[in-house]
Amino acid sequence: MPEWPRAINEEMRQHLDDEYEALRGRGFSHDAAMRALAGDVEEAASLRMRPIDALRTDVRYALRTVGAHPGFSAVVLLTLALGIGATTAVFTVVDAVMLRPYPYPDMPRIMMVSETVRTGQPISIAWPNFQDWRAQNQVFDALGLYRGTVMNLTGGAEPERLIGSLASADVFRAVGMQAIVGRTFTEDEDKPGAPRVVILSDRLWRSHFNADPSVVGRSIVLNGETHAIVGVMPAAMRFPSRVTDVWLPLGLFVPTFPTDRGAHPGLFAVAKLKPGVSVERAVADMDTIARRLERQYPLSNTDHTVSVVPYYEQIVQNIRPALLTLMGAVAFVLLIGCANLANLMLAKAEARQRELAIREALGATRWRVFQQLLTESVLMAVGGGALGALLAWWGVKGFVASRPATVPRVDLIAVDLRVLGFALAVSIATGIVFGLAPALRASSLDLLTSLKDATRASRGAGRRLRSALVVAEVALALVLLTGAGLTMRSFAALTAIDLGFDPSHVVTMRMALPSPRYPDLTKWLAFHRELVQRAAAIPGVEAAGLNSAVPLEGGGSESEVRYEGQPLPQSVSEEATMCLFQAATPDYFRALGIAIVRGRSFDDRDTADRARVAVVEEALVHKFFGDADPIGKRIAFEFTGHGPSAQPLWREIVGVARHVRHYSIAREPATVEVYAPLEQLPIWFRERRPGLTLFVRTPLDPEHMVASVRQTVASLDREIPLYAVQTMDEYVGQATEQPRLNMTLLGLFAALALMLAGLGIYGVLSYIVGRRTLEIGIRLALGATPGDVLRLVVGHGMTLAFAGIAIGLAAAWAITRTMQSLLFGVSPHDPATFAAIAALLGAIAFVASYLPGRRATRVDPVETLRAE
Amino acid sequence: MQYMKSPALDRELKKGSAELLILSLVEDQPRHGYDLSKLIETRSGGLLTFRVASLYPLLYRLEKRGWIQGRWIEKAGQRRRRYYRLTAAGAQVLEAQRNTWRDFVEAITRITGVEHA
Repeated sequence: MPEWPRAINEEMRQHLDDEYEALRGRGFSHDAAMRALAGDVEEAASLRMRPIDALRTDVRYALRTVGAHPGFSAVVLLTLALGIGATTAVFTVVDAVMLRPYPYPDMPRIMMVSETVRTGQPISIAWPNFQDWRAQNQVFDALGLYRGTVMNLTGGAEPERLIGSLASADVFRAVGMQAIVGRTFTEDEDKPGAPRVVILSDRLWRSHFNADPSVVGRSIVLNGETHAIVGVMPAAMRFPSRVTDVWLPLGLFVPTFPTDRGAHPGLFAVAKLKPGVSVERAVADMDTIARRLERQYPLSNTDHTVSVVPYYEQIVQNIRPALLTLMGAVAFVLLIGCANLANLMLAKAEARQRELAIREALGATRWRVFQQLLTESVLMAVGGGALGALLAWWGVKGFVASRPATVPRVDLIAVDLRVLGFALAVSIATGIVFGLAPALRASSLDLLTSLKDATRASRGAGRRLRSALVVAEVALALVLLTGAGLTMRSFAALTAIDLGFDPSHVVTMRMALPSPRYPDLTKWLAFHRELVQRAAAIPGVEAAGLNSAVPLEGGGSESEVRYEGQPLPQSVSEEATMCLFQAATPDYFRALGIAIVRGRSFDDRDTADRARVAVVEEALVHKFFGDADPIGKRIAFEFTGHGPSAQPLWREIVGVARHVRHYSIAREPATVEVYAPLEQLPIWFRERRPGLTLFVRTPLDPEHMVASVRQTVASLDREIPLYAVQTMDEYVGQATEQPRLNMTLLGLFAALALMLAGLGIYGVLSYIVGRRTLEIGIRLALGATPGDVLRLVVGHGMTLAFAGIAIGLAAAWAITRTMQSLLFGVSPHDPATFAAIAALLGAIAFVASYLPGRRATRVDPVETLRAE
Repeated sequence: MQYMKSPALDRELKKGSAELLILSLVEDQPRHGYDLSKLIETRSGGLLTFRVASLYPLLYRLEKRGWIQGRWIEKAGQRRRRYYRLTAAGAQVLEAQRNTWRDFVEAITRITGVEHA
């Protein structure tokens, strides 16, 4: 009885058997009977099955195949898991940060509005300018104004530091958020002299009021004053910041705002576009107003424009290039993985050629064979995807746990159903991508040739396809490695920068004395004087100092600075020299390790009743005095009055300090740094006294000093909370966080790509060597030396590698340009990086070719020929 | 298996009549698939034939609708075969289809004047 294809069920088999018998009974030969039945068999093997049955059969068959080759399957699954896992992990972040809708209604209509100076740098808004904007604009439904603040919450067991926001009633209208309990501010509450009210964040409401819905009407004590609670905002309200604890009506504080258009007191605006108004129209409208103000107030408003940026853009603009680069990187890893797997599947399909040919001879259509092979690859991809999702979940958890401060909405990043759906889609697509080529080839094999000679049929097309895949893999890996190499060079350049201070062994903490308890300057100064003395006396403390600014924190208060005898500006548009002015105690420089290169630091002589002094940075000296000795010269950054009639308050330079990076490590504005003694507090600080940061240097582990410093503060005043307790090393870590993340992640993906590409070359050459054993045996028998054979194999591998490297270099040249914004101190076309990466990939390719090459030299000619 | 004389006619007639044919053939006694196909072929004088790939799915469908019921039966010295018998529901369907078919053929005859075969 003939063998029927497996796919045909028993009943039909029985039928075919009966028919075969009948035909033979009528005198048909076996071949004639088979020919007569061929059509029925083919139909029965294919058409019979409903797609779902066919799929079930294929899945069962594929599972058996996977189980039968555990080693092969493990390699495939691992490759897939890594590729899909990396892609899923990065997508999780992209989804949370960029794709998932923000909770504000009409997010596209929410605009961030700020003043900008000539360089395009946004600055905070002058209060009178804001009033004109609000009165004159025709494009906004609501234009809200806000300012960040920190407040002391007392009345509990321990004083607490809260992040507050002074927000006008329009802020809530602009972002479109309602209170979940109570309400937002009324216009009456948002006025000078109104009774003090406060809105709580969801977090504060839960932690301090047990989410009590009847909290409205109760009150809390902020900065020593009682505030009535009018509402609670939902957890989704993250404006202006995720960490905002309380909102207070901005109107109450209007009397403290400078009425001078030259003063920019930390105010920012958020607006909601009127329906149907485009961003462009809003920009144009605000520009018209800005130009009108420029004509009216040339002294303060020359070259000042207004920037209107969609809120969404502002959130994602810094992170987008990095995320897109990483998304590209993981896509490359996945593609390289696909190329590898396509090669593996090709090899396997060829090994199974005889099996497939028989199935086809017995009536399986090519479509069925194709379907079967594709089912196998998709199934493996889905299995790999499941593992990958697990890897992604684990990776994302680690990433979120590292609390990257530069990633918006980091707390929302999690592997959820959306992400799993993405992983599934990617898996299926991956399975199709790497399974398609082998399935197409296997289903189009020449039947006869395969049956006659399944092992050595000429398969030039197959080899070309495999070689092309390897070339593509190498090219992709090179692009990825180049990107990673550039971020590494960039990071090295970044960390090589002289910060101007020594961040190791320094712990910092911030405090702000509430004005109701420290109403006058004398008391305020006395507290700090005493604090520094006591902190310095703590055993293990080398030096302790206070400053109004913290390096790498993004600057602080700025003002114009002039030197004595400087000619008056010739025109209003002449650039003034801006300085970052700070109030510091004498030991600040020693505590932070800032070198005084000339003159002296402050000391006990520099009190309020003595001559006013300043320490300045080198850049100021160079700019104002060239090579002349600056000690004893006078500068001023405080003025009484405004414009050309402003009267400078001169300070004598007593010392010159090194430049300290304040704004960021990579990009520093042209602002120069000036220090005044805390005892001679700059007049700008008299009205609104700054919170000060205590810097403590210790040879011990700085973390260990925190408790004793806390005690010292408490011994002076129990009601003062310390906040932002962290080491200077942590500030440096935060400042380098994004480049370090870029480098680490890209490096990780590039290493993966390198490994996969190496495996790819190795796999293909091993396969070719295996296939050409006979040829190699004959060559060796005919007198070729092992060296010749090695050259043959390695030559083949290196040809592929060089082709891939050449294509990859061209592609990298084109692609790395898009990374410009991620790089610092290195060109996206850095020749050294390109050369080093090409050499690295060449070396890996050599190793990957050498191993199968050496195996080829060990071919025993006699053994091989006998085997044939 | 012989090729059909008129594939088009065969296909068209079968489309409307295949169910009726099978139900009729299993009305009196249970039959297996090969038996059914041979009976259809011989009784139609070779005019009607079923391919394996259409007969068995049809049996499957009829069984699924509950009109026939299949059972594996082993007879001494033979491989087991699946025999189909008509169910009560099937008998009703058969009755209805027979009437429809009769009406249809009569109508055609009246119009075309073709003698009833």
